[in-house]
Amino acid sequence: MRKIKFGILSFAHIHAWNYAQVLKKLESAELVAIFDDDKERLARASSAYNVKDTYLNYHDLLKRDDIDAVIVTSENARHKEHVIAAAERNKHVIVEKPIATNLRDADEMISAAKKYGIKLQVAFVMRYHDASLHIKELIDKGDLGKILSIMSTNHGKYPGGWFGDPDLAGGGAIMDHTVHVADLMRWYTGDEVEEVYAVTGLNIRNYLKVEDVGLISLKFKRGIIGSIDCSWSRPDTWPIWGDVYMAVYGSEGYVIVDAFVSNVTLVKEGKPLEWRYFGPDADLNMIEDFIKAIKEDREPRATGYDGRQALEIALAAYDSIRKGEIVKLPLS
Amino acid sequence: MEKLKVALIGAGFMGGIHIARWSMIGNAEVIAVVDINKERAKKLAREYNVKNFYKNYKDVLKEDKIDVIDVCTPTYTHKEIAVESMEHGKHVIVEKPIALRLKDADEMIKASKRNHVKFMVAHCLRFWPEYVAAKKIIDSGELGEPRIVRAYRQSPFPDWAPWHNEIKLGGGVFIDMSIHDIDFLRWAIGEVSEVYARGGVLRRRNATACDYVHAVLKFSNGAVGYVEGSWIMPKTFPFTTYLEIVGNMGILKVDNHTTSSVKVFTEEKAFDYTFVYKDAYYEELNLFTRSIIEDAQPPISGLEARKTLEVVLAAVKSIMENKPVKLPLKGDIL
Repeated sequence: MRKIKFGILSFAHIHAWNYAQVLKKLESAELVAIFDDDKERLARASSAYNVKDTYLNYHDLLKRDDIDAVIVTSENARHKEHVIAAAERNKHVIVEKPIATNLRDADEMISAAKKYGIKLQVAFVMRYHDASLHIKELIDKGDLGKILSIMSTNHGKYPGGWFGDPDLAGGGAIMDHTVHVADLMRWYTGDEVEEVYAVTGLNIRNYLKVEDVGLISLKFKRGIIGSIDCSWSRPDTWPIWGDVYMAVYGSEGYVIVDAFVSNVTLVKEGKPLEWRYFGPDADLNMIEDFIKAIKEDREPRATGYDGRQALEIALAAYDSIRKGEIVKLPLS
Repeated sequence: MEKLKVALIGAGFMGGIHIARWSMIGNAEVIAVVDINKERAKKLAREYNVKNFYKNYKDVLKEDKIDVIDVCTPTYTHKEIAVESMEHGKHVIVEKPIALRLKDADEMIKASKRNHVKFMVAHCLRFWPEYVAAKKIIDSGELGEPRIVRAYRQSPFPDWAPWHNEIKLGGGVFIDMSIHDIDFLRWAIGEVSEVYARGGVLRRRNATACDYVHAVLKFSNGAVGYVEGSWIMPKTFPFTTYLEIVGNMGILKVDNHTTSSVKVFTEEKAFDYTFVYKDAYYEELNLFTRSIIEDAQPPISGLEARKTLEVVLAAVKSIMENKPVKLPLKGDIL
């Protein structure tokens, strides 16, 4: 069977490196070209994944007819430019989350995907993690009864670099870490958020220009309650990058997804304790499914629209913080 | 020295916990057990070799030899019993919550002053080993300044106390159970300036009291917090607590299961247990006893408990009005 040929647009986002690794591993995919506007980073990626075709201008990469799909892992604010350019060249796209930094950009990306008939998938990898997928199946079977509330955390360390630049990232921890669990909540409940209340406080890292603390309280249209702790509240010495934790309260049962606790504990002389993850590879599952979506010509599991809806929740959280009150969705 | 004579009012769940600890305290002894259900009073009294048991608490107030009244009755009865006991010159320890109304808390505080008796509210988390350890770390400055905190408390509904179904009697899960976390966080982190809460009667039928609440807190010092209380757990769910404090220099977290030193599984049940030198209830009652003997301030004043009550009431008000509520509260909620 024909391999799907991939390009990667930028290694700015750390996940680009994971996706590249997956593409090298998958039989059904081939990583043929990479772009980065940072020369040094481009060279590093090129040698790390043994990709010869490197581009400092993404248009040149997109011009190639042999490329079927691209993964856009540039800075959040640049997603739109890259995704629309890719769509115009009829490339299928996986775009890193958050889909964009404002709803206008997200809508333009979704329209472009539609116009050019390409698959646009948002990298909501948690929809492809076996733990969160298992709970989705339990919910759909009705094992939990009616969902009453979902409490979630997506804690992390401070990722560094442009994540601290409000112009490129579109915000801090709230922009970075709200959308994964917000998306899972939408997916689990099959419902949309109606109301958002959020707070931030003094930063953990006072040198940051963006917030690293955030708490969000949600209500869905059908009344389901939700909460998200999206803080970058783990110090650099924390044994693992962070967590994705969801407690789902149902009328007939209670379940917990704690997706990144499948670790080996490792301690080396003079170093902080580490947790080395051995759980499922959600990135791999996601890209594999994306390839199937292309071959079967079906919608990806997490679409551009899903990306937009999750982004709206993060934006509403900022709005709520500015106003100090509850914000109703949809945002005007 | 003669032992302090204690009358225990309320032979229910908390009464059973307290009497077991009183029996370990050298300077005090329970000499009477009271319960509106006299059989229950008798049973608990027998179990601890206490001679006297009564149906009406007023009967023990007349007894001059009684020094201390330990109020372990449902929350809605606290004020009446506590105030009347203090009017009879008795020292009073009352289970949390102090009351359901600030007005009632104020009356209790005034009664203790007027009668020059010791008054304490049993916020046991201030003596709970893992919370004490956490507080020590916070106070040491090792975490730096507090920034974001999380605290949960999850349990099946307390079926043994059906009055918890009624908002006017027990106040609901946040007032009754999350009050522990709120009190601890006030003690360890600082005063709360604003509360937003969401919750409802999610699983109970024909109940008026919330069985699930989450609250987002703003503290005066710039920290924020998330506190969740749940009585909607399945019956098989083991009582679970979680605490996480993040400061600008570090993080601490602790829960009641990963720290348990004993785990037991039989065909009938599964449970785990964290052994400690002396448990929180013992410390709480022992320190109250000492405050009476030494004529010192009890470790938790009525005013402290009132401030904690104010925060949980603000959460209830926030749920009712669906908007953030600033402290102090301007009046009562229930």
